[in-house]
Amino acid sequence: MTCLIAALGRRLLRLIAVLGIVALAAFGLMQASPVDPVDAYLGAQLAQVSPEQRALIAERWGVDQPAVQQFRLWLGNLLRGELGWSRVYNAPVGEVIGTRFLASLPLLASAWLGATLFGFILGVVAGTREDGWADRWIRRYAYTLASTPTFWLAILALLLFSVALGWTPVCCAGPAGVTRDELGLATRLHHLLLPALTLSLLGVAQITLHTRARMLELMRSEIALHAFAQGASRREVAWRHGARHACLPALTLAFASLGELFGGAILVEQVFAYPGLGRATVEAGLRSDVPLLLAIALFTALFVSLGNALADGLYRLVDPRLREAYQ
Amino acid sequence: MSLSRCRWLVAATLALAFSPLAAGAPSQLVLAIGGEPDDGFDPLLGWGHYGHPLFQSTLLSRDAELASQPELGHDWSLSDDRLRWTLQLRDDARFSDGTPLTAADVAFTFNAAARAGGRADLSVLASAEALDDHRVRLTLTEPRITFVETLHTLGIVPDADRDNGYHDGYARAPLGSGPYRLVEWQEGEQLIVERNPHYHGDTPPFERLVFRFTGEDTTLAAANAGDLQLAAIAPALAAQPPTGMHRVAMQSVDNRGILFPMRRASGDTSASGAPIGNDVTADPAIRQAINLALDRELLVEVALHGFGQPAYGPADGLPWSDPAERVDDGDLQAAAERLDAAGWQLQDDGLRRRDGQAARFHLTYPAGDTTRQLLAESVAELLRPLGIAVEPMGRHWDEIRREALHQDAILFGWGSHSPQEIYYLYHSQHAGQDYYNSGFYANPAVDAHLEAAQNAASFDASLPHWRAAQWDGAQGYGVRGDAAWAWLVNLEHLYFVDDCLDLGELGVAPHGHGWPITANLLDWQWQCEG
Repeated sequence: MTCLIAALGRRLLRLIAVLGIVALAAFGLMQASPVDPVDAYLGAQLAQVSPEQRALIAERWGVDQPAVQQFRLWLGNLLRGELGWSRVYNAPVGEVIGTRFLASLPLLASAWLGATLFGFILGVVAGTREDGWADRWIRRYAYTLASTPTFWLAILALLLFSVALGWTPVCCAGPAGVTRDELGLATRLHHLLLPALTLSLLGVAQITLHTRARMLELMRSEIALHAFAQGASRREVAWRHGARHACLPALTLAFASLGELFGGAILVEQVFAYPGLGRATVEAGLRSDVPLLLAIALFTALFVSLGNALADGLYRLVDPRLREAYQ
Repeated sequence: MSLSRCRWLVAATLALAFSPLAAGAPSQLVLAIGGEPDDGFDPLLGWGHYGHPLFQSTLLSRDAELASQPELGHDWSLSDDRLRWTLQLRDDARFSDGTPLTAADVAFTFNAAARAGGRADLSVLASAEALDDHRVRLTLTEPRITFVETLHTLGIVPDADRDNGYHDGYARAPLGSGPYRLVEWQEGEQLIVERNPHYHGDTPPFERLVFRFTGEDTTLAAANAGDLQLAAIAPALAAQPPTGMHRVAMQSVDNRGILFPMRRASGDTSASGAPIGNDVTADPAIRQAINLALDRELLVEVALHGFGQPAYGPADGLPWSDPAERVDDGDLQAAAERLDAAGWQLQDDGLRRRDGQAARFHLTYPAGDTTRQLLAESVAELLRPLGIAVEPMGRHWDEIRREALHQDAILFGWGSHSPQEIYYLYHSQHAGQDYYNSGFYANPAVDAHLEAAQNAASFDASLPHWRAAQWDGAQGYGVRGDAAWAWLVNLEHLYFVDDCLDLGELGVAPHGHGWPITANLLDWQWQCEG
C-alpha cells in the first residue's frame, strides 16, 4: 500500500515537473515569436488608433512589462487557480478552453475509438496469415495512410464527399440558422461524420502495423506451434493467443497517440471549419495570445500524461504477468 | 440524336437543382461576409467600427456620402473652443429588453470606452457627463474634429450601475438599442440575430439574419449550392456567379500604395533600432517620376484581376480628398524628362545615376500577401525601362518594423472612413512613430492645413483644410506637391448577391472586405414577389 502511494507520489512529482517545463518552453517560444500582440490585435486598424491608445492596450494586457515579470505574474495567478484572460476571445481562459474542448471532445473521442478498434482489428487480421491476400492489401493500405498528410486527406475527403457527392455538409458543426438547442442528434452526427472519419484514419496505420508485427512474432513462436500441433486452426490461434499478445502495444500506441490526435485535430478542424480547441490554438499562436496558448499547452500536456498513466494502469488490468510483478 | 437528348437531360437536371424552392421574402437572410469579432460584440473594445453594429445604436449615423445623420442624437453642437460636444438625445430609444436609454448610459459608454483599452480609440476624450436625462456633454482634451468618427461608430451600452447594465460578459450577451438582438452566437461558425421589437427606427426589412463565418472555399461552395443570399468573394474566384446570383463590385478606399522614405540616410536610427533614410527616394524628382511612370490601369489588370480602380491619394472619392488629384500616368517620356532635369542620367547599363548614386531601392512588402507581391513585382517591371531599379522584397512585419520601415519603400494598404488616417500618415508629429508616418514626411505647410482641419468648427468646415493639405495651389503631400507616396490602386470588394436582394446605395467601403457592406443594412430590400 505504501509502495503504491510512493509510486503515485513519484508520478505526481514527475507530472508537475513536466508541466513546469512545458509552460517554460511555451512561454519562451512566445517571447521569441516575432508577432507583436498589439499589431496582431489591431490588424487593418493599425493606423487608425493613436499612439496613446496603443500604449493603453499594451498596459491592459501587461505586455509592456519585462518578460520575467510577465511569467512570474502568470505563474502566481496559476497557483491561485486563475488561468488568466484570453486576449483574442476577451473571455476567461478557463471558459474558452472549456467550451472549445467540449466541442472538440466528440470529434476526438470518436476518432480515437475508431482508430484504435479499426486499427487493432486490421492488424490482427493481417497478422493471422503472413503474406496472405488480406495481409498484402491491409499492408498497402496502412503504408499509404501512414505517408498521407492529414490536411491533404481532409481536403480530399471534403472534395469527394461534400462537394462532388454532396453526402456530407461542407463545414461546421451545424446547418445555417439553426440554434444549438434546435439541433437534433442526427444532424450533429451528420456534421461530425467526415471530420471524425478523416481524423481516425490518421491513427489507423500505426496501430495496424504495430499490431501486425506483434501478431507475426506470436504466430511464428512456439506457443503457436504447440497450439497448431494440438489441432487448432490459424484463426483460433490468432484470436485466442495472438490478439491477447498484440493488445499491449496497441494500448500503448493508442494512448501515446493522444498527442498526435490533438495535432491532427488542429488541422482537421481548420479544413472542416469545425470550431474546437484546434482552431483556438491556431488563433492563440498567430495572434500571440500568451495566456490562452500557455493554458492550452498545459492542458494538452496534462491530457497526454493522464493518457499515459491510464495506459500503465490498463497494462496491469490486461496482463496478469505485470500485475503479479507489481505485487 | 442521343447526344442532344443527353444535353437536354443535363440542362433539365441543372435547372431543377438550382431553381429557387420558394418565392417571396425569405424569413431569414443567410450571409457569408466574414467579420466575426473573436472578442465579441462589445463596442467599448471596438465592435461596430465598420459596418452596422446590429445590436447597438450610435449617436449619429452616416449616409452613403459619409455625411452625419441623426440617430440616437437628434441635435448636436460643438462649442466655440472646439472642446465640448453637446448632444440632445431622442426620448423614445429603448434597449432590447424594453428599458429606456438615457444620457447616463451614453456618458457611461464614452467614459468606459476611453479606459477600456480596445480598438475603440477615445484617447482624446477628457470626460463625458449627462446634463439631464436626454442631454449629454462630451469634453475633449484638445480640438479634434475627427472625434466625430466616434459619434458615428461607438454603440451605446447600458450603464454598469443599472440592473441590466454592462458587465464582464457583455461581449457575449450584448444588450443595446439597435435594430437586431442576439439569438445565438456559435463562435467560429455563425451568428443568428432577430429583430429587436423595441427598436426606435423603422422596422428592419428582414426578420432574422444568419451570418456564416466560413472560409473562402466553403463560402463559394455554399453560394453555388444556393444556400446564401450574400457572399463576400475573393477576386480570383469571382469570375462566374452562380445561377440566381449576380456579382456586385463595391468601390472602396481599400488602397495599396508605396510609402517613400523622405529623409536622406544619415546613419540615424529610430527608437526600435531601424535605420532611417534613403538617398534615392529622398529626391522629389524620383518620387514624382515614379508617380508619372506607373500605369495604374495595368496594375489593376495584373494584380487585381481587373477588380479595382487606379488610386491617386489615400482617400479617393471621399469628401476630404481633392477630386482634382489625378495624374496622366503611364507616361514614361514625362517621367524621363523629370529625371533628366534633376540630374539622374541614364547610363549604358540601363540604370540612372547621379553623382555616383544609382537609382536603386528596395520595395518591401509583407510576405504572404499575394496581391502586394504582384503589385511590387509589376511596379519593378514598369519602372525598369525608366532606369530605376526597384528590388521587391517580401519580409515579415516584424522584420519590416526592425529594419525596413524607415529606409525602404514599403507597399502599404490603408483606407478609412475618417480623415484622422490622413493626419497620422502625413503630419510631422507622427514622423517615425511606428507605422503612422514611417517615411518621416514633414512639411510645415501641410502640418498647418492638417491642424486647421482638426480645429475646424464642424466636420463640413474641416473638409477644405484636408483637401488643401493634399494640394493648396503651391504645395501639399499629393502628387502635384511632395509626392510623399505613390498610391497605386483601390480594391473593389466583390460580392455574390441573390438576384432578389437589392442592396440600395452602397457608398465607398473602407479597408477590409466583407462586414463593411452592412453599413446600410436597414436599406436592403427583397425585390421578388411571393
